[in-house]
Amino acid sequence: MQNNSASKTKMTFSDFWDKYSTVSILILMVLVFGAMQPKAFLSGTNLVKIVEQSAITILLACGEFFSILLAGIDLSVSSTMALTGVITAKLMVLGYHPTVAVLIGTLLLGAAIGAVNGGLINLTGLPPFIITLGTQSILRGITMIMANARTVSGVPASFTKAVGGKIFGIIPMPIIVALVTALVLVFFTMKTQAGRNLYAIGGNSQSAWFAGINVKKHTILAFVISGVCSGLAGMVNIARLAAAEPNAGTGYETFAIAAVVIGGTSFFGGQGVIPKVVVGGLIIGVINNGLNMVGVSSYYQQIAMGALIIVAVTLDRFFGASSKIRK
Amino acid sequence: MDTLVKMSHITKRFPGVKALSDISFDIRPGEVHILLGENGAGKSTLMKILSGAYEPDEGTISIHDKEYNRLTPKLSAESGISIIYQELSVINELSIQENIFVGKMLKKKVAGVTVIDQEAMRKVTRELLESIDLNRKPSALVGSLSISEKQMVEIAKAVAFNAQVIVMDEPTSSLSDDEVARLFKIIERLKAEGKGIVYISHKLKEIMQIGDRVTVLKDGTYVGTHDVKDITMDKLVTMMVGRELKDKYLGSGDIHELGKVIFEVKNLTRRDGYVKNISFNLREGEVLGFSGLIGAGRSETMCAIFGADPISSGEIYLQGKRLHIKNPYDALKCGIGLVTENRRETGFFHNFSIKRNISIARQLKHTGFGGLWGLVDFKDEQKVAEEQRTAIQIKCASLEQGITQLSGGNQQKVILGKWMAAGVRLIIFDEPTKGIDVGTKAEIYKLMRTLTENGIGVIVVSSELPELLSVCDRMIVMNEGKISAEFSAAEATEEKLVKAATVDMNEAGGNEYAE
Repeated sequence: MQNNSASKTKMTFSDFWDKYSTVSILILMVLVFGAMQPKAFLSGTNLVKIVEQSAITILLACGEFFSILLAGIDLSVSSTMALTGVITAKLMVLGYHPTVAVLIGTLLLGAAIGAVNGGLINLTGLPPFIITLGTQSILRGITMIMANARTVSGVPASFTKAVGGKIFGIIPMPIIVALVTALVLVFFTMKTQAGRNLYAIGGNSQSAWFAGINVKKHTILAFVISGVCSGLAGMVNIARLAAAEPNAGTGYETFAIAAVVIGGTSFFGGQGVIPKVVVGGLIIGVINNGLNMVGVSSYYQQIAMGALIIVAVTLDRFFGASSKIRK
Repeated sequence: MDTLVKMSHITKRFPGVKALSDISFDIRPGEVHILLGENGAGKSTLMKILSGAYEPDEGTISIHDKEYNRLTPKLSAESGISIIYQELSVINELSIQENIFVGKMLKKKVAGVTVIDQEAMRKVTRELLESIDLNRKPSALVGSLSISEKQMVEIAKAVAFNAQVIVMDEPTSSLSDDEVARLFKIIERLKAEGKGIVYISHKLKEIMQIGDRVTVLKDGTYVGTHDVKDITMDKLVTMMVGRELKDKYLGSGDIHELGKVIFEVKNLTRRDGYVKNISFNLREGEVLGFSGLIGAGRSETMCAIFGADPISSGEIYLQGKRLHIKNPYDALKCGIGLVTENRRETGFFHNFSIKRNISIARQLKHTGFGGLWGLVDFKDEQKVAEEQRTAIQIKCASLEQGITQLSGGNQQKVILGKWMAAGVRLIIFDEPTKGIDVGTKAEIYKLMRTLTENGIGVIVVSSELPELLSVCDRMIVMNEGKISAEFSAAEATEEKLVKAATVDMNEAGGNEYAE
């Protein structure tokens, strides 16, 4: 975020890591898997598929980014994704027009869940970890009840085509949804006062309060954005599957958090940018896809993902932007 | 005379800067050696080399006739060097006893098994606490102690492990006068026991009182070492800043022309009761000071005015208009700014550039719904940041620099710039020059005058009496949440202020100035 002209002379590993870590990891991953499976992995269709598969992770990660920006966390993104998916699907099955269903079941419900998360954090003063751990379980329970623990099928083809299909027969719609969401959020974080305020609160919430920023309102805003992003992930998920699974996305919060931290967002708050989070989401996609190609079981993928989070945060701790702040 | 520690020709370079060049410094048994210098002079770097945190590029350190090229933290501690930092490193969640013995628990064998010897540690702790007159149980939680008491615990810890050299980094920056006196008594005792004390401070008066020798650093170079008894405060100031500060402050005798009342507080009472029934006013062109002991309710009054803490009753008027302030955002909208006591915790944003730190309040004010709606005006941001940089002379290489790269004084200027950029009509300073070097102090005092000349109200809360006496046109003294006295600059003396702050008000005949 800061261009220090004095240190232009020599680029240290720390500077390099700060700027290019995420993209370097992505390139490295692609090269490694490409070397192992040059034909299957590097084919055009597979690369598009990777991006499409990453769309949900990217959407969840974009939401997760805001809670981590405030030095918090949102563990409920995966449950929110499942609940919004089930409700959106149910509304369509009940005969509502897909647009109405998306407006209510995806956007409105996602925002409401986020508002509840943020509101509870404000009201209780408890860490977001505790609150969202609770709502994660509550929302999953509600999802199961709403869906009778069964898959909600019968999603209209017009919807699956519109949201799950391909534009010009090449670019899958999920990619477009994730891309547009990311672009909106880039604009929000870089250009709007509310975005600026969130960085301020993440850096120092006390200073933010004394500068006149309403910390509570902005906390709610951050979690509302997270909820809406999770809702969009839920929408994309049911469009791809043409059905809503009540246990969809279980464990995806790990992917989302991994994408955010690999994207260089500081766990200590106040540092990070959306484009890198998107690249972080792609890295997760490449790892999942690549390990599949190489024939590694999904259990090992979980191990890889967990290790990646620890390594990414460790590297940020010692080389990232937050390591340079004299405390 | 023999020395405990001798640092010879120390040079330390950081990328792009020479932090220390050819510094020599020694510590003798039974003396208080003052280390003096403006912020950025190299005091902390030198002490970090002594503690083993930094490795010097050149020079040697000899301890008890053994010579080293560098120390490690372990070696430094084993050699009897103990450093008490400004931000104390006690652990609030542990007891006094556990804090003292943390990492070095005394042990005993019970039936062949090694266990922690609580009994022995309690006994040692009790003796230590007695020796420093700290009337607390060894089992008391450190979190429940005052800052001064926590400091005592750190001293006890140093003494417990037989420290020969104790470095104190601005030990009195958050102590009241009584507590300072108590600390000085302990320092005297440590001296008598033959310990060497390195004392880092900006407060010249204190230095004259407690110091034996003083070494002055400036911009990483050695200026000189003198016996305190042979030197005057003026000389020290000259050594530090390298120039004669003629009007060290603003000259207290000046009479400023005062206009109409611009700010008024009537019967302000906080919901938590820390401030009761406070009334005062501020006139155009006037700098109003608030004096009193720590905990007398001065900062609490200001936080209540600023909307940071809730009030139960009271009225606030700015330029004749009644204000209804419920939070700092309202205060900002109404044109009130607060430069808080603690820059790091409640002042700036460490993750923001200087520019962003300056523009935040202004931008907030100009966007809708409390800053939730609206775009950042990047052009305006650049413009006001540059204006403030020139107006208050923020010394920085670039406005894009991180604020943490600035010295304390410059950070304080940035925070002042934040409120000035927001166009406030009243600025409240809470301990404005805490931990700031003499040169910048004078600049900040001058800035206050510039503000009043432009019709902006200035209120200063300070625990440093000379500061109040030299900057303020009028001083209000608070005592136990109430106003106990009020003096004009002409009437006020240190004695009067101290008396009004410390004497029980019932004895003094009640609250004369509340109405």
